[in-house]
Amino acid sequence: MLELQSATLAYDSVVAVDSVDLEIRPGEQVCLIGPSGCGKTSLLGLMNGRLESSSGRVILNGKEFKSLSGKALKKTRSKIAWIPQDLGLVPNLRVNQNIACGRASKKGFCGLMRSLLLMGSREKEEVLDLLKRVGIEEKIFHRVDHLSGGQQQRVAIARALYQRPQMILADEPVSAVDPERAKSLVELLIGLSREEGQTLVMSLHDIDLAKRYFDRVIGLRKGQVVIDGAPDEVDLTKLYDLS
Amino acid sequence: MRRRLFFLLGVFLFFVGLWVTGAKPSELLPNEGGRETASKFLMAAFSPALDFEDPEMRESEVDFIHKLGRVLGLTLRYAVAAMSLALLIGIIWGILGSRAWWSRSSLFLQTIRIGSRLMATAVRSVHELMWALLFLSAVGTSPLAAVLAMALPYGGTLAKVFSELLDESESSAAGVIRMSGGGGLAAFSAGVVTRALPDLVTYALYRLECAIRSSAVLGFVGVPTLGYEIKTAYEDGHYREIWTYLYILLAIVIFFEWWGTKIRNLLTKGVASKKPDVRQPDVAELWKARGTSLFLRGSLLVILIGGTMSWLLEDRWGAGVSWEQRIQNLDRFTDEIVPYPVRESNDDWGKVGPWFGEKMSEGGSEAVSQTFHLGTASILLAGILALIAVGFSARTLASFRPRGIWDGYPAWRAVIGSILRGGAMLGRAMPEFILAFLLLRIFGPTVWALILALAIHNCGILMRLGAEVIDNTPSQASSVILAQGGSRTSAYIGALVPTGFTRMVLFLFYRWESCIREATVLGMLGVASLGFLISDAKVSLFYDEMVLWVALGAALVFLGDLTSDFVRYKLRGKHNR
Repeated sequence: MLELQSATLAYDSVVAVDSVDLEIRPGEQVCLIGPSGCGKTSLLGLMNGRLESSSGRVILNGKEFKSLSGKALKKTRSKIAWIPQDLGLVPNLRVNQNIACGRASKKGFCGLMRSLLLMGSREKEEVLDLLKRVGIEEKIFHRVDHLSGGQQQRVAIARALYQRPQMILADEPVSAVDPERAKSLVELLIGLSREEGQTLVMSLHDIDLAKRYFDRVIGLRKGQVVIDGAPDEVDLTKLYDLS
Repeated sequence: MRRRLFFLLGVFLFFVGLWVTGAKPSELLPNEGGRETASKFLMAAFSPALDFEDPEMRESEVDFIHKLGRVLGLTLRYAVAAMSLALLIGIIWGILGSRAWWSRSSLFLQTIRIGSRLMATAVRSVHELMWALLFLSAVGTSPLAAVLAMALPYGGTLAKVFSELLDESESSAAGVIRMSGGGGLAAFSAGVVTRALPDLVTYALYRLECAIRSSAVLGFVGVPTLGYEIKTAYEDGHYREIWTYLYILLAIVIFFEWWGTKIRNLLTKGVASKKPDVRQPDVAELWKARGTSLFLRGSLLVILIGGTMSWLLEDRWGAGVSWEQRIQNLDRFTDEIVPYPVRESNDDWGKVGPWFGEKMSEGGSEAVSQTFHLGTASILLAGILALIAVGFSARTLASFRPRGIWDGYPAWRAVIGSILRGGAMLGRAMPEFILAFLLLRIFGPTVWALILALAIHNCGILMRLGAEVIDNTPSQASSVILAQGGSRTSAYIGALVPTGFTRMVLFLFYRWESCIREATVLGMLGVASLGFLISDAKVSLFYDEMVLWVALGAALVFLGDLTSDFVRYKLRGKHNR
């Protein structure tokens, strides 16, 4: 379980996340929505400890991020997969090599290098099975920059799943694709994370997608949580300052 | 307005440079002897030697082609050995100086990073020819001294560029690995190095091409490489032999440019995977269908074998001098680099100040100023010439359909374009030092020979870089000018130059720093500048003075390097905005 207690993140005089209290339960499918600059990316950054809160606490499975360091921090992070907005893929590596990076924590430096340079047949099979689930198995040995935008997004999803995390944090992973493709990718990610019983926290711009697929919608405005609940219960007009 | 001011300032500084260095326009016309030499030399270009010009040598047992092969082999071997060592230095130092390596920012780590970068800059500030002089003076002539002399500044240069390339390649990929619990080393290797690899390899190959030119130039300080043969052939009046050596050098440069471009394309674009033969392929079949390049694998093999062989083939790295003798030489050298008054007064270092002041007033200040203005005037001349030439040589302007618009012009523009591109390649292939050596024989002892040598070589480089800018600049305005009946020159001056101007200026500053570096050594050919003082001190065995002038040259290059970095950083920021 992930908890945020009065978590605040400020850059100089700008408050990106303002005293947020949240509880994300295991297996939940949560969507973060809100206008640009409302603090979605910063909030996700606090959730995996990428950003350090200025005040308040961020707790994962009973352990506060700030109190962790070294191996304990790496172990905690290995339970959270992150899909950044630009997907974070290495364009000149093959799909299987990019996916292998998802397990960097377990493999260690030497193991990761071995996977990158000389991946064993068992690992290749495992990666192929994963790619079958995201529908691009024939691309396993293609370079990532030879794939379409949609296929690259599937690689990023596969890398996140390969990590075998408890939780996946996805920062607007479908912002650069057309509505049809966005729908199918969100469906895919929701379906796969549900199958695995993983928690999914995804930030989105599209309110329709948020209402249609997620268990819970959290709306942010100016760094504060202004709505939080099941999609059919929340008042989405609160997201926009109409005054 | 700013562009015009910049241009006028450039022209002003060019004339100041000519005035300070004492380059008189009348000296641009060689005297009768010079003209005769030039004509003989240029005529020899059409009939390069395939045998010794000296009849006695022809009758001897030595075969010219065999000798050519041996000299070429040595030149390549020293260059490759130096590059393999430089690569090691560059990788370690480059990583230490890279922001991407130090994921945390603390004052201590920042100090290490900045310290590493400054050290790399300082090491590369001393020209390889200077390092060679220092090593040869310290431990005597040996192949190892030559290799070390190249490896140190090249290592520094590689380190500086590698750390910049690594920083530019930092992306969220490394962040994803770190955030999934991966270690810093794994994140850096998989997320940063792999991404930067095509650029790192391409730059290393470019430096190998430069190392071959440097290895040739080391012949002028006694290392038996191409430069040594060129110098000897010139002294004997064997111009056709010189052209054979120059053509060989040109062929090597053309080969490396082709090789580097091909490798870069393969690494950046990759090879497309094939379609598997079966309908539902398994892993093995998909693996078989992956895109691979025999050329890349072959190149890797050649590089590995070449690197190893360059060290193994030399059996006299120490030139037969014992270690005891070397240590004795080194001891003597380290004693003698202590300033003379300090040695005389039993280590009274208070005497260094007056000694330094005296040396500076005796010619040091003037040499520093000459060196600076020589480099500046040369790069400005190269810049102006390149700016004019690019308008004719850029492929998108020289083609039958400039910028995709048919303008009905005959083929002569394409012919001029090809000639200019060929000339630029020839200019790039000739090391400045060798060019200056040849031009001094034609023009006599005038600074023009050095200015022209630097300008020709750098004009060749700027023409290539400038043409790349123009060819890759998407400019609708230039197409509109051509479609409305405007000339190619109007499209170039009216639309393409203003769009690509900042990038062209970036390249000018990048080459200015190299020009200053080269200017410090060109004086060794006999024209007053720091190089002249260095060579004079070496001949007189005044090692304290020699080291002083080398250090002064390094300081000048170091300052030039920092200034160039600063200006380029500012311009790049403006360019990206």
